[in-house]
Amino acid sequence: MRKTYGKILPGMNLSELSGKLIVLEGTDGAGRTTQINLLKTWLEERGHAVLDTGMTRSALAGEGIRRAKEGNNLGRVTQSLFYATDFIDRLENEIVPALRAGFIVLTDRYIYSLMARAVVRGMDAAWIRSIYKVALVPDAVIYLRINIDQLIPRVIFSRGFDYWESGMDVFPGQDMYENFRSYQASLLTEFERLSMEYHFETVDASPDVKRVFADLQRKVLRIVESDRRTDYLSGRSEQAANPLEKLTETWTARSWELKVKDFDTLLRTAAAHAASLNGNGHRVA
Amino acid sequence: MTTGQNLRIGPFEVFCPVAPAIERSPQIGGQNFPGKLFVVEGIDGSGKSTQLSLLHKWLESKGYGVVFSTWNSSPLVKDTTKLGKKKKMLTPATFSLIHATDFADRIERSILPLLKAGAVVLCDRYIYTAFARDVARGMDSQWVRELYGFAMKPTVAFYFRVPLETAIGRLVTARDGFKFYEAGLDIGLSDDRTESFRLFQGRILAEYEKMIPEFHLTVIDATLPVEVQQAQVRQIAKTHLDRAKELRVKP
Repeated sequence: MRKTYGKILPGMNLSELSGKLIVLEGTDGAGRTTQINLLKTWLEERGHAVLDTGMTRSALAGEGIRRAKEGNNLGRVTQSLFYATDFIDRLENEIVPALRAGFIVLTDRYIYSLMARAVVRGMDAAWIRSIYKVALVPDAVIYLRINIDQLIPRVIFSRGFDYWESGMDVFPGQDMYENFRSYQASLLTEFERLSMEYHFETVDASPDVKRVFADLQRKVLRIVESDRRTDYLSGRSEQAANPLEKLTETWTARSWELKVKDFDTLLRTAAAHAASLNGNGHRVA
Repeated sequence: MTTGQNLRIGPFEVFCPVAPAIERSPQIGGQNFPGKLFVVEGIDGSGKSTQLSLLHKWLESKGYGVVFSTWNSSPLVKDTTKLGKKKKMLTPATFSLIHATDFADRIERSILPLLKAGAVVLCDRYIYTAFARDVARGMDSQWVRELYGFAMKPTVAFYFRVPLETAIGRLVTARDGFKFYEAGLDIGLSDDRTESFRLFQGRILAEYEKMIPEFHLTVIDATLPVEVQQAQVRQIAKTHLDRAKELRVKP
């Protein structure tokens, strides 16, 4: 059964979240977004339904945060809470429904980045953790580790220094380069601490995109394959004579995770399976 | 492996990797500021806003530098709150968080600097409103209290205590209907708007009652005549202002 970090939101049922929640963490410029796009395509080719989500993409608060960041008057507590609103909106309206439908959820950053940013801005570590007690514990947190000297050329030659990514709201003075270094170095230190506390799996993000992707594929595969649905998807039982037989098989395969018999899920699985078979009991593409 | 423990909450077993009880989140800016913070609390229809506005006029006439701050008014956040309410997108959790965000912005950019400068700040609703509403919507009471751990303790928190029926009687004559979230329609207590409002305000009232001893709220009997209540409020405010003459901005 899925867990949270200590508190459960009202109306949230943790018992039917059969999908996989995979988090990619790392500082600005570590390559998270590129890798998520690659992973998504690859997983979809393998037949998995994938949802990708990331910071400020919530329908509720995404636009509000972007607007607030255009000005120069977004305080650190306000910022932390605005991001928490965005996160919880996505948790309740995107992540949880997708997990319930059996999706693989790839998330570009999770609560750890939000904690790191808040702590670097001087917020109390216990306070920010108390808010995110309601977050789901992911199936894996993969941390793209990179050091500050490897990071700088990437940022200079791609998008340049950004006000917030350079911590201009945190550090005094107008030197964006110096501030970027100080801010990102503090974030990296905080990530190292979080990495131990929350048991991140680390991937070296300094090689080229292809090598990093290969590392990620190995890690993701292990998580995805810990689910027996993969057997089902990889076509091991494509010759199932009829939907009923298939149903029994699915039931056996899944019963280990469905301790309490969930007939709704069972019926949905059966209906979906029946729909995917042609008259001869073969799967149709 | 992991340090932590499994906790049982209701029917669920959850894993808690950090120590579960946080004693107290530190407040931004600490508690030592020369200004004074007076807040009014109570259910809708308790008459708290009238009382605060009378206090405001009195303080101004006495020459104090007074600033008024209302709930839900941060220019950075209010559009998001409006969007969430209009499209009925808010769940109990996001309702709670967006109001905390709004409050944080008002604290950081207005209330805290004003208190540091020595002003008298008057707040129509404060963190206790959030505690009452959010818990009435099913949020965990400890979680909500920790969420507002950055707020400073008011000099005096006046609680205008009124029976539910009295408050509803006042509102029904004054308004032509209740709004969706105001009536708690989001949590499905009743399909009837007025009935839902009644049930929801009843829950809120129960939360306020619990908070009186917890936060040492100063209870004012809101069934008394307006003038009597105001005399009590001024009396109490005065005891805190006598020791702070430097707050006066006018001779």
